[in-house]
Amino acid sequence: MREIPRVKMENQVTLLKRGKRKFRKGQVAGPWILFRKTVQYLTLFIFIALFVWSRQDGGQPNLINIPMRMDPLLILAHLVASRTILVGSTLALIVLLLTVVFGRAWCGWLCPLGTILDLFPLNRWRKKRPAPSDGWRRIKFDFVIVIFVAALLGNLTLLFFDPLTLLLRTLTVSLWPALDRIVTAVEAGLAHFPVLAGPLSTFDNWIRPTILPIQPVYYRDGLLFLAVFLGVILLNLLVARFWCRYLCPLGGALGWLGKLAIFRRKVGMECKGCTLCTDICPTGTINPTKDYASDPSECTMCLDCLEVCPCGQTRFVTVFSPEKWTAYDPDAKEALLAVGVTVAAIALFKSSQPAMRQTPFLIRPPGVRENNLDVVAFTKCTRCNECIRVCPTGGLQPAVFDAGTAGLGSPILVPRLGYCDYSCNACGQVCPVQAIPPLGLAKKREQVIGLAFINENRCIPWSDRRPCLVCEEMCPLPEKAIQLEKVEVWGPDGKSVTLQLPHVLREVCIGCGICEYKCPVSGEAAIQVYIPQVEVPF
Amino acid sequence: MGKFTRRDFLKVAAAGAGAMTLGAILDACGQVLPTSLPSTDTPIPSNQQPATLSPFPPDIIPPATDTVPAPTDIPLPTPDLVVTRGGEPEALVRRALAALGGIEKFVPSGANVIVKPNICLAYHTYEYAATTNPWLVGTLVKMCYEAGAASVKVMDNPFGGTQQKAYEISGIKEQVEAAGGVMTNMLSYYYVPTQNPSAVVLKTVKVYDDILKADVLINVPIAKQHSSSRLTLGMKNLMGVIQNRSALHINLGQCIADLNALIKPQLTVVDAVRILTANGPTGGNLTDVKKLDTVIASPDVVAADSYAASLFGMKPEDLDYIVIGTAMGLGRSDLQNLNVQVIQLDA
Repeated sequence: MREIPRVKMENQVTLLKRGKRKFRKGQVAGPWILFRKTVQYLTLFIFIALFVWSRQDGGQPNLINIPMRMDPLLILAHLVASRTILVGSTLALIVLLLTVVFGRAWCGWLCPLGTILDLFPLNRWRKKRPAPSDGWRRIKFDFVIVIFVAALLGNLTLLFFDPLTLLLRTLTVSLWPALDRIVTAVEAGLAHFPVLAGPLSTFDNWIRPTILPIQPVYYRDGLLFLAVFLGVILLNLLVARFWCRYLCPLGGALGWLGKLAIFRRKVGMECKGCTLCTDICPTGTINPTKDYASDPSECTMCLDCLEVCPCGQTRFVTVFSPEKWTAYDPDAKEALLAVGVTVAAIALFKSSQPAMRQTPFLIRPPGVRENNLDVVAFTKCTRCNECIRVCPTGGLQPAVFDAGTAGLGSPILVPRLGYCDYSCNACGQVCPVQAIPPLGLAKKREQVIGLAFINENRCIPWSDRRPCLVCEEMCPLPEKAIQLEKVEVWGPDGKSVTLQLPHVLREVCIGCGICEYKCPVSGEAAIQVYIPQVEVPF
Repeated sequence: MGKFTRRDFLKVAAAGAGAMTLGAILDACGQVLPTSLPSTDTPIPSNQQPATLSPFPPDIIPPATDTVPAPTDIPLPTPDLVVTRGGEPEALVRRALAALGGIEKFVPSGANVIVKPNICLAYHTYEYAATTNPWLVGTLVKMCYEAGAASVKVMDNPFGGTQQKAYEISGIKEQVEAAGGVMTNMLSYYYVPTQNPSAVVLKTVKVYDDILKADVLINVPIAKQHSSSRLTLGMKNLMGVIQNRSALHINLGQCIADLNALIKPQLTVVDAVRILTANGPTGGNLTDVKKLDTVIASPDVVAADSYAASLFGMKPEDLDYIVIGTAMGLGRSDLQNLNVQVIQLDA
């Protein structure tokens, strides 16, 4: 190890001045930075544009889900858990290749969540405080071990914390619905001024359904999912890109692969030790006690140091040997501990209540169940929530605890909020890993996702002796899964009335849930869709 | 922005609070503006009992000619109701309106017109007779413009599937836009709570604002079987312009009649080019569809429905909303006393 070079005081000051000229508004400027930021904002824009485009009959499903198919953590974990290789998933190789060449350039240049975190440099609001110990960096590596061991045991729950799924879920369930409500409230207010009718309708035709839905959709626990996202942003208060440094599992996976990176940062011998690079580095990986060297597992290739270096001693050179294991990379003991914890957790999942008997309303998207068993949802679903985004009725919702703790973030149909549209097969088309099979519309219409039961105690004709029959009308099946029995009964006033009583034909019903959605009984519907009958006996 | 100072924060917070308050105020402005509508001066029977339901004719519908009242010998200036048969949808509707005295009678020059077809779902194409015939709607749009209408909007709020998809699948979007009409998105915030003074049950109802403001409303239902109301025709078709329709089904006959006391289309054109005879209103089975190549047009929605019932082998008295509607003075169902003109195009 070389000693820190001793520089004369005046030299140090001139260097700092020269370097600081590159700072503007607290951030580094320069052609490389401009280039990087252009790429970052463009990628974020494309991500959001693809999100906006994700709706029934919106964009090409295989274009919409490109970001998810490029995510190597998501794709590899799915590959391990499902033991299937999908042609479409080879897109992830692009990011893997990028990492082998440029290290964690994904994090610094492409990751939309990373860009958002860069947009909130909250730590600058506070007085400079020392960053948490480097030891914390191990969390993300342990996270990777846990995710892959769990995947090996057929569980993908923790992909909930993949940065892309996290962002897409928040956009779907929280941010976009909130935006829709705000725009609608303003429009509703302005609609009362007749002068504005023309422009308002033009605006509406432009914005709906292109950007916002025509009919509002509702999500459960939008605030809860937003809180996770806000938490990730607020961690920036402690230190820049706290999430990327210490927590992000994708960052951890790419970081390990980054140890093989061909392009790596090297500091020249002429370095005068001005510490400008150490101060500016967003991941704090430049170590002044180690000749200002950095760890390629942590470096996001943002090039801030390159621009800020006053002596031109920061270079990016090609190296063809893997980087050494660092103190905060998990050692064998720690890895073993992570494996042990994961095995125990999966064992607990497998001994939890939903594994023995499913919750009665765990209705999955069409085609997900195999032999009516809900296994696939756990071994295949990457929690990306693309299906939830495209569902036109808002019936698909991310599970909180409906499917047990292990089912966190997986899609379930909540018929009281929206039904499975008989004219739609969008969820299967958009699923990046075919956890929901890409069925044609005719095939999708045959999928039994649930079974409706009438609660005769709540049903209006059954209990109140008054005509209703909304469920029968709404039933989309050509042969109607709800049949009517004409009866002569005593009415509430003691007189004889002729009524039609609804009955569900179990062998016809596909469980789309429109009957439950439209049931006029307030509160719990008088007709409810339950999980389908399991064909294979235990 | 080097630092986000406390002052900056307060500014942002104040701006945000201001914007939210403005939204709330604007929102509140709307609540006090229920559109008042002229009430009918007909006394309303207070104790309407739904008509006793007779069993639905099990299989085949008698040929329409059997139940049609014979056309009157002396042609009166304008008939109350015109039935055209045996031709393409465009010819059927043009001929029917010509017999009614021309579209100009209903659509004054410069009028803002809304055509309300039945686009109740996004599941099937028009051949399944769940949605109104697209050429019928397209022709009506064309004719409105020929009469000098300022704008023609077409809208419905489907119960199954999205509006956008339903507009497309039904084929109505294509025909309407070819005719220069506008397929309008029905937006949630545009429903206005409206007093319905002549109603028995449906005293206040949220109605789509455009419908209330239109100069002319043309009701273009398709004739379909429907379990709770037995048939969905013109009067029932108007349920597409209100919010929260499911709740109406408990006393459906009265609710439909009440709604018709509030919303009065200037013209009703019943599409019976194809009718859905069973498993309505959704359909999906071509064996339930019957091609009749018939159009019924009348300024009186009750009369139009009364005649359309005959296509299914029913009498007006079989449909409780017609019985209630007649009693409420919304129109006439006494077909034998009406001046009905039947025109056979291919004869």
